Amino acid sequence: MPKSNLLRRFAKSREFTAIAFIVLLFLGVGLYKPNFLSLQNIMLCLNGSVVYTVAALGIALVIICGEIDVSVGATLGMAAAVSATMIRDGQPWALAIAAALGVGVLVGLVNGLGVAVVGIPSIICTLGVNGIVRGLIYVYSNGKWIENLPFAFKALAQGGVGELTYFYLFALVAMALLHLCLRRTRRGRYLAATGDNVGGAVLLGIPVVATKVISFVACSVFAAIGGLLYVSRVGFVTPIAGNGYEMKVIAACVLGGISLSGGVGSMLGAAVGAAIMASISRVLVFLDFPTDYDNTITGILLITVVVADALLQRRAAEQARRLRLNAKTAARMGGGEKGGERLA
Amino acid sequence: MPKRPRLKEILLRWEVALLVLLALEIVVFGGINPKFLRPRVLFGSVNDFMSICVVSLMVTFVLVTGGMDIQSGAIMGLTSIVVGVVWNDLGVNIWLTCLLGTMVGALCGAISGFFVAYTGVQSMVVTLGGSFLYSGLALAVTKFSATESYKGISGFPKDFTQFAKGRVFDVIPNQLILFLVLIVLAYLLLHRTKYGRRVFLCGINRAAAEYCGINTRQVVMSTYILSGLSASLAGILLTAYLGTAKTDLGKELTLPIITAVVLGGTSNLGGSGGVLGTALAALVVGILRFGLSMAGLNTQYLDIPVGALLVLTVTVRFGLMNPRVSALLRRALGKKTAAERRGSA
Amino acid sequence: MERDERAASAEALVSLRGMRKAFGQNMVLRSVDLDLAPGQVLALIGGNGAGKSTLMKIIMGIYTHDAGEMWIAGEPIAQHKPAQALARGVYLVPQEPMLFPNMTVEENITMGFQHQKRSELRARLRALLEQMGWRMDVARKADSLSIAEQQLVEILRGLMRNARVLILDEPTSALTFSEVQSLFRTIVDLKQRGIGIIYITHRLNEVFEIATHVAIMRDGAITLYDEVHGVTHDMLVKGLLPPDSKGGETAPARPAQQAPVRQEPLLQAEHLSGYGFEDVSFCVYPGEVLGLAGVVGAGRTELATTLIGRDRARSGRVLLDGKDITGLSTRAVMDRGLGYVAEDRFLHGIFRIADVAANTSAGALPCLGRVFLDAKAEREMAAEYVDSFHTKVVSLRQMLGALSGGNQQKVIIARALSTAQRLLILDEPTRGIDAGARRDVYAIIRRLKAEGLAILLISSDMEEIVELSDRAITMFCGRLNRTFARGEIDQDRLMAAAFGVPKEGERGA
Repeated sequence: MPKSNLLRRFAKSREFTAIAFIVLLFLGVGLYKPNFLSLQNIMLCLNGSVVYTVAALGIALVIICGEIDVSVGATLGMAAAVSATMIRDGQPWALAIAAALGVGVLVGLVNGLGVAVVGIPSIICTLGVNGIVRGLIYVYSNGKWIENLPFAFKALAQGGVGELTYFYLFALVAMALLHLCLRRTRRGRYLAATGDNVGGAVLLGIPVVATKVISFVACSVFAAIGGLLYVSRVGFVTPIAGNGYEMKVIAACVLGGISLSGGVGSMLGAAVGAAIMASISRVLVFLDFPTDYDNTITGILLITVVVADALLQRRAAEQARRLRLNAKTAARMGGGEKGGERLA
Repeated sequence: MPKRPRLKEILLRWEVALLVLLALEIVVFGGINPKFLRPRVLFGSVNDFMSICVVSLMVTFVLVTGGMDIQSGAIMGLTSIVVGVVWNDLGVNIWLTCLLGTMVGALCGAISGFFVAYTGVQSMVVTLGGSFLYSGLALAVTKFSATESYKGISGFPKDFTQFAKGRVFDVIPNQLILFLVLIVLAYLLLHRTKYGRRVFLCGINRAAAEYCGINTRQVVMSTYILSGLSASLAGILLTAYLGTAKTDLGKELTLPIITAVVLGGTSNLGGSGGVLGTALAALVVGILRFGLSMAGLNTQYLDIPVGALLVLTVTVRFGLMNPRVSALLRRALGKKTAAERRGSA
Repeated sequence: MERDERAASAEALVSLRGMRKAFGQNMVLRSVDLDLAPGQVLALIGGNGAGKSTLMKIIMGIYTHDAGEMWIAGEPIAQHKPAQALARGVYLVPQEPMLFPNMTVEENITMGFQHQKRSELRARLRALLEQMGWRMDVARKADSLSIAEQQLVEILRGLMRNARVLILDEPTSALTFSEVQSLFRTIVDLKQRGIGIIYITHRLNEVFEIATHVAIMRDGAITLYDEVHGVTHDMLVKGLLPPDSKGGETAPARPAQQAPVRQEPLLQAEHLSGYGFEDVSFCVYPGEVLGLAGVVGAGRTELATTLIGRDRARSGRVLLDGKDITGLSTRAVMDRGLGYVAEDRFLHGIFRIADVAANTSAGALPCLGRVFLDAKAEREMAAEYVDSFHTKVVSLRQMLGALSGGNQQKVIIARALSTAQRLLILDEPTRGIDAGARRDVYAIIRRLKAEGLAILLISSDMEEIVELSDRAITMFCGRLNRTFARGEIDQDRLMAAAFGVPKEGERGA
C-alpha cells in the first residue's frame, strides 16, 4: 500500500519536526554570529537550562500520559524552600534532599489521586494545588528570603567535568534513563499507551489509574529535584521561587515536539525544548536585542511551532484520506482511468 | 408531570449552593470583623476583585466551547501599558485611548482565537503561547515610553480614575454597577441569543454543529475575542482604580479566574455551564479573598483558600459523578444522589 | 431447557445464570442466562439499549453485575477486572477498534503482557501471523490502518492472549464487502480451532451465514436462544419485535402504485465527481423517494456530504431547481431547502447534553428570531415534531443522551426537516435502532413523501430500499452502476448491483 507510506513517514517524523525546526533556527543565529555556536557558549546555554530540563523531563511524563500539571512551579519552589531552610540550619544534606523529595511525592500523590481516582480534569486539579502550595511556601517561609546557605552547597552547582557541570550531567543521565524506561520497560509503554488511548488501555487491562498516579508523582519528584538544583545554583530562595516555571516547562515540552494530547513525544524532545527555552535570552544578547523580548520570542516560537506542526499533520491526514477515497473508486473500476490521472 | 419542576430545581441547584456559600462567607467574616458588614466596605470590596469578575464572565464562553484561556492576565497587562503609554507619551485623549486599549485586547483575543479555531491546535497551548507573547509585547511597549517600565505610568486625569473609584450615592461603587450590567449582558448573550446557543452547540459536538450549518470556526474564534475584550476592559478598570499603568497587572489572576469559572459550574470539557454560576463564583472567590485579608490574613496566603476551594468543590462534584461513590451514597442515604439525577436529566 | 444443567457449565467457556444489572433506576439486564461452548459462534442480536453491550462489558470485567452467577472456563467468578478477564481468555473486539494510534502494530498487539519478553512476544506474533496466513507489516503505525486492518489487529490481540472466547461487537458495520468476507473466513477458521465466539450484529443475514447459535436480547432479557438451523428469518424478526406489536401490519400500507406526475426534477447531479465517488449523475423528483443502495464504503456517504457542502466536488455540478448549488457552504445549501440526516448519529448528529428542543432547532437557528433566540417558537417547533413523530420524551427539556437510539433518530430527522423544504437526504436512517422505531421512521418517510417532499434514501439495508423507494439507484466503488424503475426494485437485484455482481446473484436471505 504505497499511499499509506506517505502518511507513515509524516507520522513517524512528527516529534522530530519541531526539534528540527528549532535546531535550524539556532543554526541560523550561529551563521549570523559564529560565536554563538562556540562550544563554550553552547555549554553555558545547556548548563544554564538544567533546572528547566529536570522539571521538563518530569512534566513530559505527565503530558505523554495525556494529562497536564500546572503545579510544577509551586512544587519546585516548595521543595527549594524546605531544603534550603534545612541546609541553612545545618541539617544533614541527605535529610534536606529527602525532605525535598518528600514534598515532591506528597504533591504528586495529591495531584495523581485527584485526577486518576476522583476524576477531576488535570488542569483544574493541579491549578488548585498550585495555589495551595504557593500559599504554603509563604506560610513556611513566613514571606522571608532564605539565604546565607553554606558555601559548600552552593559550590556543588559549579563543579563539573570539563565544561559540563555535574548537574547537567545528572540531567543527561536522568534523561537517558527515563528514555529507556519510557521506550523499553512495560511501565513506560503503559504510560505512552494511556496517553495514546485511555479506553483502549483499560480494555487491555493496563492499570490506568496507577499509571497516571505514578506519572504525577514522578513529575512532582522531578520538580522537587529541580528545586534542589535551583537552591544550589541560585544560592537563596524567595517566596516566589519557581513562579511561572510551570508555563515555561510546558512550553519547553511543546517546543520539543511533545503533544499535549498525549501519547507522542520523547525525553530528548523535553530536554532540547528546555535548553531552548532557557537560552532564548542568550540568543537575544547575541543578536543585540534587549532581553526584554524574551517572552515575546517564546510566545511567537511556541505558536509558530505548534501551528506549523498542526497544519502539516492536517494536510497529510486530509491528503491521505482523499487518496484513500479515490483509490476506492479507481481500484476496481478498470484501473486508473480518469480518476487516477486527475489526482496525479 | 412532576419532572419539570424537579429539572428546574436541579438546574438551579449549583447556583443556589453558591449563593449559600456566599451568604455563609458574609456571615462568618461579619462575625470576625463587624466592619466588614458596613455597606461601604462590603460593596466596596468589589473594587478589589472586579477584574476577576469581568474576565471570568467571558472566559466562561471559551470554556463552554470546550476551550481554555490562560492569556487573560497577559492581555490585561498589555492593555494597561498601552493605555498608559499612548496617553502619557503620545498625549491622546484618555477616553480615546481606552477605546484603543479595548481594540488591542480584542485583537489579541482574535489572534489566539484564530489559531485555536482554524488550525486545531489545543487552546491551552495557543493561549499559553499568547500569555508569553502578550506579556512580552507589554514589556516591549514600555520601550516607547519615557518613563521607566518598573515604575509604571501614573498621573491619569481625575475623571478617568474617578470612574473606577467613584460611588453612586457614596455607597455603591461604579464598578459594582458595571459588573451587574455586564452580568446581564453576558447572561443575555450566552443564554438568550442565537449566538449563545451556537456557542453551546459547538461545545457539545462541534462536528454535529457543522452539519447543522453552523460556522463553528467563527463561533469558537469569537469567544476568544470576547474574552480578550473583557480582559482589556479589566485592565483599563484596574489601571484607573490603581491610578497606575503597569505591565504585570494581571499576572497572578489566572488561578482565580479559572477558579471562578469552574467553581461556577462550567465544565472545561465544554457544552455546559452558565454566566450566573460564574458571576456568583467570582463573588465567592473575591469575598473570600477580601474577607480573609480583612480578618488579618497575609495577602500572600490567599492562594491557599482559593486553591483549596477549587479542589474541594471539584472533588465533591466529580466524586459524586463517580458511579462507585454515588452507589455508596445511595446505599447510605437510601435515595438518589445528585449525580444520578444529573445523569438522568 | 438447559437452565438447570449447572454441571454442563463446567465445559462451557462462558456460562451466565440470572445476570442482573441496573444503572440507577434503569434496569438494563433482568436475569440473563447464556452459555457458550468451544467452537460455537453465538450470534447475539437485539436493538440498541437491549443490554447486549452491558452484558459483554460485564463478561469483560468493565462493569460488575448486581446479581447472578458467572462462570468463565468452569470457574465461578464473583467480580473481576479487565486484566483478569483477559487472563481467563476472554477478549472483546469493540465496535470501534481501540488501538493506540501512535504506536506500531506490533506494540499494539503486544501491549499489556505482563510476564513475557519482547523478543518472545515478537516470535509468537510472527508464528501466529504465519499460522493464520495473514500478511501484515507489524512496523506500521496504527493510525495508518484501515478499519478492517484495525479489526484484524484487535483479533490478533485476542489470539495472542490465547483467547478462548472472542466477543465481536458489530464487526462488519464499517467494513467493505470483501473485508466482510475475509472476516467471515477468519471466524470459520477460529471456530475450527475451538474458540468460542460471541458475535453481536444488527444484520440478520449474517446470522445465517456464520453463526452456529443465535440469541435475541430485548429489554435486558434473552427472548430466543436456539441453534441456527432451528430458526427462520421470520422467527428472528418476531423475536426482535416487542410482544404487543403486530409485526409490520400496523405500518400504513404502501400507497397504491400511482404513477408519479413527471415534473421537472428537483435536484440534478451532473457528472459529479468528488473524493470517494466518480462521475455520478442522477435526479430526484418532488414527491418521490429515490433509494440509493450500496454497501458501506461505496462512496454513498461521501456523495451525500458533498451535496450538503461538507466536502468539495472535484468536477461536475449539482442543480437545485435548475440553479447551480455546487460548492456552496452547508449553511447556504440548507437555506436553499436541503436537509441531511448523517450516517453516524453519534459523531455528526446528536448533541448529547443538549435538550430535545435545542437538538430539534439546531439546524433552523437562522429562522428563530433576529438576535435573541425565540424560545417560544423553538418550543412550538420541537413540540410539533415530537407530536407528529410520536417521539417518546418526558419533556422537551430532556437531554437527548437520555433517549433511546430510535427516539434520538426521530429528533435528528426533525432537525433535518426543519430546513429541508425541498429535499431530505437520509443516510442510513434506521441504523442501530430497534424494530418499533424503524417502523415509525418508515411511516414518517412515507408521510413526508405524500406531502410532496423529495427524499434521497441512502441505505445498505436492501429491504429498506425495497420497502420505501419509488425508484432506486445503486452505487458500487464510487460509481452509480444501475438504475431501477418502480417495478424493477427487488432485494436480489439490488444486492447484486450493490456488490458489483454483473448478473443476477444467487444470494438470498
